[in-house]
Amino acid sequence: MPPWPERLKPSSLQLALFVAFGLAIGLAGVGGTRAGGLFAPIFGGAVGPGAEPGLLLNIVVGLLLALVLLINFRLIRLAPFGAQVAIIWAELALVFYAFVDSFDRDFGIWFEVGRSGQSNLAFLVTTGAVTTLYVSLIAIFVACCFAMMAALARLSSSGPAYAVSTFYTSFFRGTPLLLQVYLIYLGLPTLGPQFAMNAVPSGILALSLCYGAYLAEIFRAGIQGVPSGQHDAAKALGLPKGLTFRKIIFPQAMRLIVPPTGNQFIAMLKDSSLVSVMGVWELTRTAQIVGKRDFKVFEMLIAAAIIYWIMSICFELIQSRIERHYGKGYER
Amino acid sequence: MHKLTITAFAAAFSFVTTPAFSGEVLDRVMSTKTLTMSSDPEYPPQSFLNDANEMDGFDVDVGKEIAKRMGVELKIVTPAWEVITAGGWSGRWDMSVGSMTPTKARAEVLSFPAVYYYTPASFAVHADSSSSSLADLNGKVIGTCGGCTYDAYLNKDLVIDAEGTPPFDYQVTAGEIRTYETDTNAFDDLRLGEGVRLDAVFSALPTIQEAIKNGYPMKTVGNPAFYEPLAVATDKGDAEFDAKIAEIVGAMHADGTLTALSDKWYGADLTSVAK
Repeated sequence: MPPWPERLKPSSLQLALFVAFGLAIGLAGVGGTRAGGLFAPIFGGAVGPGAEPGLLLNIVVGLLLALVLLINFRLIRLAPFGAQVAIIWAELALVFYAFVDSFDRDFGIWFEVGRSGQSNLAFLVTTGAVTTLYVSLIAIFVACCFAMMAALARLSSSGPAYAVSTFYTSFFRGTPLLLQVYLIYLGLPTLGPQFAMNAVPSGILALSLCYGAYLAEIFRAGIQGVPSGQHDAAKALGLPKGLTFRKIIFPQAMRLIVPPTGNQFIAMLKDSSLVSVMGVWELTRTAQIVGKRDFKVFEMLIAAAIIYWIMSICFELIQSRIERHYGKGYER
Repeated sequence: MHKLTITAFAAAFSFVTTPAFSGEVLDRVMSTKTLTMSSDPEYPPQSFLNDANEMDGFDVDVGKEIAKRMGVELKIVTPAWEVITAGGWSGRWDMSVGSMTPTKARAEVLSFPAVYYYTPASFAVHADSSSSSLADLNGKVIGTCGGCTYDAYLNKDLVIDAEGTPPFDYQVTAGEIRTYETDTNAFDDLRLGEGVRLDAVFSALPTIQEAIKNGYPMKTVGNPAFYEPLAVATDKGDAEFDAKIAEIVGAMHADGTLTALSDKWYGADLTSVAK
């Protein structure tokens, strides 16, 4: 590895990228923002929020900002890899914090305690997040069952099974989830009153059917991704078909299935807000309801966004554990 | 709210609800001792979640009173407006006390047994404005919700085909009509200052008053331009239940209960059309 002063030097591509970035934010008028305000002392207060600096000053501020970023990146590159990641995460989180802080909103509302004795944030978690979580968890489980059946039907040699499976995936991938929710909640009862399911089961069914259709394709790709030599080897050993699938094909397919399934689950966590049209108080809806009380909807929605994010991060961690389990055979 | 949440969860998990087709809504309400009402939790002061995390508001109080007079418990569910107005409730809830205008189109899928109050439609201007009568608003820039009854009024094209709608005439000719997704967006523009984007807004009087209470620098001008009747809605099919609702709401009109609730929530008697 070259000595550190040399490792600080940016490549010409990096230099060009940062100059282009500086020019772009300069032309967008970065001088008149809070970021521009950081350089106000240098220019005698001619930049910053509310100021209207000329084009030249804007570009100078933009280039300076890009330079600061470039130096920041080059310095961080000297650290070990893990530290680099941690520092950049912290910096980006700080930028996000500054962005939200610049809205100049009253975030005290999160912790305000009403007559219920519960803060708004606590209510958001105990009512909204809990509902979102159990609806999504049940739905992803049922969706996986639907998906496995659809994938196997599609791979089978039976014409009707293939047809039903392809019709199912085509319909539920091709129509909006919101309309599927309406079809199940409002359409099914017209067949007979015994099909008038309540809001939560209707929502879980709609989410399961819709995501089952997407997952069916993921499962199919995973099963087909297992090399055909594995089938042949199992046959040569005299293993029956069912056992071959369960012990040989499925565990290897799971390695390919888990990452995109985790992806779908995180997407579902947020799509589950659509069940609110039936009156289910999940996270997004609860945030809107609580916010509406004090004309503070935006503040509560930001709280909901952060809760969704934290839930997603937890599931990313769980997913990476499952991935490691099924990837054991490939570790070196 | 806790109790409400728990009952809502319990109801949500009882997989299948009781059917509502046989015209026996009343029997079911009386035998289960529960009257289920649909309500919008984002519509203060008609219905909203109060700081005790319980449903509260004028519509909620009216619903509670109806349940009380039937001698049953009130349960509240919160489906979306489109789901309520689509009809075919399948017994999931028994009535809507949701400030619904009983138009003919809606009357094809829902029943409207009783009108319980009238929303006055009012003009409001910036607090600094010198306008003091409806005549002052002629030729001004007026903001309102697009495609709603207020928009139709300003375009002199308003039809409320509900029974009991009081007659009205067009007293204001706007210079320019600006429409927004909802009326409160127009309030935000009026808030910027007298004449900055808007000279006046046109909306429901209770909504305007609620905004003023929340610090919007506005004031109402003149008398309400027209009145919209608002009714309790039920699913089609149970004449007995409808008759019971009509009887109870009629009694609440007669004994002053509705007037008292209207005073409590709107600071005015909106239960009849002001002369």
